[in-house]
Amino acid sequence: MFMESKVLVYALQIALPILYAGLVTLYALSFFWSVRAVDSVRIPALVGVIAAHLVYLVVRTLTFDHPPITSVFEIMTVLAVCIAIAYLYIEMRTRAITTGFFILLLALLFQTVSSLFIRDLVQIPDFLHSRVLGFHVSAALLGYTGISLAAVYGFLYLMLYHDIRSSRFGIIYNRLPNLETLETMSHRAEVFGFCALTVAIAVGVLWLPRVFKDFSYLDPKLVGTMAIWVLYAIGLAAKRKFGWQGRKMMIISIVAFGFVFFSMTVINLYMSGFHSFH
Amino acid sequence: MNLFAVGISHHTASVEVREKMWLSEAEVRRALAELKQRYFSECVLVSTCNRTELYGIPSSGQPIDVSALAAFLIDFKNASSLVHPGHFCSEVSETAVHQLFRVASGIDSMVIGDIQILNQVKEAFSASREANAMGPIMNRLMQATLHVGKRVRSETMICEGAVSVSYAAVELASKIFADLARKSVLMIGAGETGELTLKHLVAKGISRIRIANRTREKAEALAAPLGGTVVEYAGMLEALTDADIVMTSVQNPTYIIGPEEIHKAMRLRLNSPLIIIDIGVPRNVDPATRRIGNVFLYDIDSLKTVVDKNLERRTAEIPSVNNILKQELDDFLKWYDALQVGPTIQELRELFEAIRQQEVDRNINRFTAEDRELVDLVTKRIINKLLHQPMTVLKEGTEGGNGQTETLWRIQAVRELFGITPRPKDTDDQG
Repeated sequence: MFMESKVLVYALQIALPILYAGLVTLYALSFFWSVRAVDSVRIPALVGVIAAHLVYLVVRTLTFDHPPITSVFEIMTVLAVCIAIAYLYIEMRTRAITTGFFILLLALLFQTVSSLFIRDLVQIPDFLHSRVLGFHVSAALLGYTGISLAAVYGFLYLMLYHDIRSSRFGIIYNRLPNLETLETMSHRAEVFGFCALTVAIAVGVLWLPRVFKDFSYLDPKLVGTMAIWVLYAIGLAAKRKFGWQGRKMMIISIVAFGFVFFSMTVINLYMSGFHSFH
Repeated sequence: MNLFAVGISHHTASVEVREKMWLSEAEVRRALAELKQRYFSECVLVSTCNRTELYGIPSSGQPIDVSALAAFLIDFKNASSLVHPGHFCSEVSETAVHQLFRVASGIDSMVIGDIQILNQVKEAFSASREANAMGPIMNRLMQATLHVGKRVRSETMICEGAVSVSYAAVELASKIFADLARKSVLMIGAGETGELTLKHLVAKGISRIRIANRTREKAEALAAPLGGTVVEYAGMLEALTDADIVMTSVQNPTYIIGPEEIHKAMRLRLNSPLIIIDIGVPRNVDPATRRIGNVFLYDIDSLKTVVDKNLERRTAEIPSVNNILKQELDDFLKWYDALQVGPTIQELRELFEAIRQQEVDRNINRFTAEDRELVDLVTKRIINKLLHQPMTVLKEGTEGGNGQTETLWRIQAVRELFGITPRPKDTDDQG
C-alpha cells in the first residue's frame, strides 16, 4: 500500500510540471495568438490541473504522514497550487483572462523547482506536527501568494506602462487590462499578502523561540522576510502618506517578490530546513 | 438561384455620385413598392452614405436586364445628369448572396470592420418588410445575413480597435483608466477633432467636462450641448491639477504647456496619472513633458499610429471573415436547394414511410401471418391518403408571380412543421 501510494506521488510529481506547462501553453495560445478554440477548454483544464495537484498534496500527506510544509520545496508546491487557485478565483470573478499566462507561469516555475528538488521525508521532528506551525506556515503561504500575484500584476503594469508611453501598440497593449485595473489588482494582492505576512511573522516570532533552543533573530529567512515586510510597509505607508502610485509601487512589489524568491531558493541552498535553526 | 444585386458603392462611384443616389427611409419604401410592382416578387434596398444596393428575386422568374434596374434607380433619384449605368455593378445568384454577406460583415466597407453597417442592413430589411416586399427567400436571407454579421463580430476581431484619430484618443484613455465615468477632462481650444473626441468621451460616460478657449463664446457653444462648463483661458494651468485627461488644440506658434507646469500640477495632484492629448498643429505641449512619470503625452502622429495598427489588425482578420462567409453561404445555398417542390415531397414521403415502417415493425408480432400483409397494405394506404392533400397543394401554383412565392412559403411551412432539414450537400450530389 505504501509502495503504491509512493508510485502515485512520484507519478504526479513528474506529471504536475508537465500539466502546468500544458496549461500555460493554452493560455499562451489565447493571449498571443487569440486561438478561440481554447476558450472553452481553458477553465476545465485549469480546474483539472488544480484537482490533480490537490490529489498530489493529499496523497503525499498520507504517504509521508505529514502535510507538505516541512521543507522549502514542499512549501513551493503548495504555493504553486495556491497561486493557481487564486488565479481561478480571479478569472471566475473578473473574467479577465488575459493575465492567466503570466500568473500560471509563476505556478509552473514553483512547481518545477519543487518537483526537481523535493525529498521524501518520512521521519520529521515532532514540532513539525504542531498546529501553531500549521497556522504560521498557512499565513506565510497566503502572504507569499499575495506577494507573488502583486509582483505579476506589477510586472504586467510596468510592461504596459512602458509600451503606452513609448507608443508601442503591440500585443501587450491590445490584450492586457488597463493600467488602473492592473494597479488595483496588484495593490489588493499586496495588502492581502502584507496582512498575511504580518500574521506569519508575529506567530513565528512569538512561537519559534519557545520551540527552538538555538533560535536566532539573525536567521536568514527571518531577516529576509522582515526585509520584505519592511519594504512593503514603507511602500504602503508612502502610498497613503505621499500618494505614491503607479510605477513606483509596482517596482516595490517586484523587488519584494525578488526578495521572497531569493530567500526561498538561494538562501535555502545553504540550509537543511526552511529556517537555519532546524 | 435567381437573386439579383445591383448597386453603387465607394468601389465604383465618387462621393458626389453616392450622395446623389442616397435614399431616405421614405424614398426606400416608395422605391421598393415600385420595384415590387415592376420587377421583383421580393426585394430589399440598402442605402447608406457609402452604398446604394438593391437585392431582389424577379417576379417573372426570368433574368432581369441589369441596366434597366440601374436606369430605374437613376430615374427615381432624378440623377441622370451626374450618374450613369457605368457607376453600377451587379451580381447574380450565389455571388449576390456573397456580396450581401460581405456588406453585413463589414469587409466591404470603406473602413474595414465598420460597426454601423450591420444595423443599416437590419434597417433595410425592416423597411422591406414594412413595404410588403419581403418573401420567404428574403426572409431567410435576412436571417442568414444578420447571423453572418453577428458571427463575424463575435468570432473575429474585425471590428476591434479605434480607426479614427478621435476614437483612438478615447481608446488610449480607456487603456489607462478603468472607468472613464469617474474621470474629468479639460479641453484647451475648440477644434473639430477635439470636439469629436469629447463626444466619444461623453458617450463613454465621462463625468466632468471643462473647456478653455481664447474665444469664450466658442467654448460656451461647445460646452452647452455636452453638459460641460467653461474655464477662463488664463486659468487653464490651475485646472490641470484636477483633470485626468487634457486635450489641446490651439493655434499657437509656441508650446502653451511645458514640463514646469506639468511638474507643478503633478505635485499638486499627488502624482496621479495624467493623459495629455495634443492634437494641435504645431504642437501645443512640449514633448519633454513625456519624461515626467505618470504623464502620458500623445500627439497627432502617435494617435495616427494607433489607427494604422488597428487597421492592419482588421485587415489581417479578413481571411477568418471569409471562412465564416463561406460556411454561411454554403448553409444558405443548402437551404435554398432544398426549397424545391420535388425534393420536399420526396423527403416528406420518406419521413412518413419511415414512421409507418417503424410502427409496423414494432407491432407486427401481434398479427397473424395472414394479416401481416394486410397491415402493411392498409398502413400504406393511410399514409397515401394523409399525404394526398398536402402534395396537391404544394404542386399547385408554381407558374411564377405570387403563386411561386406562395409555394415557397408552403414548402418552408411544411419543412418546419415536419422538421425536414436540408440534406448534407455531398449526399445531394451523390443522389
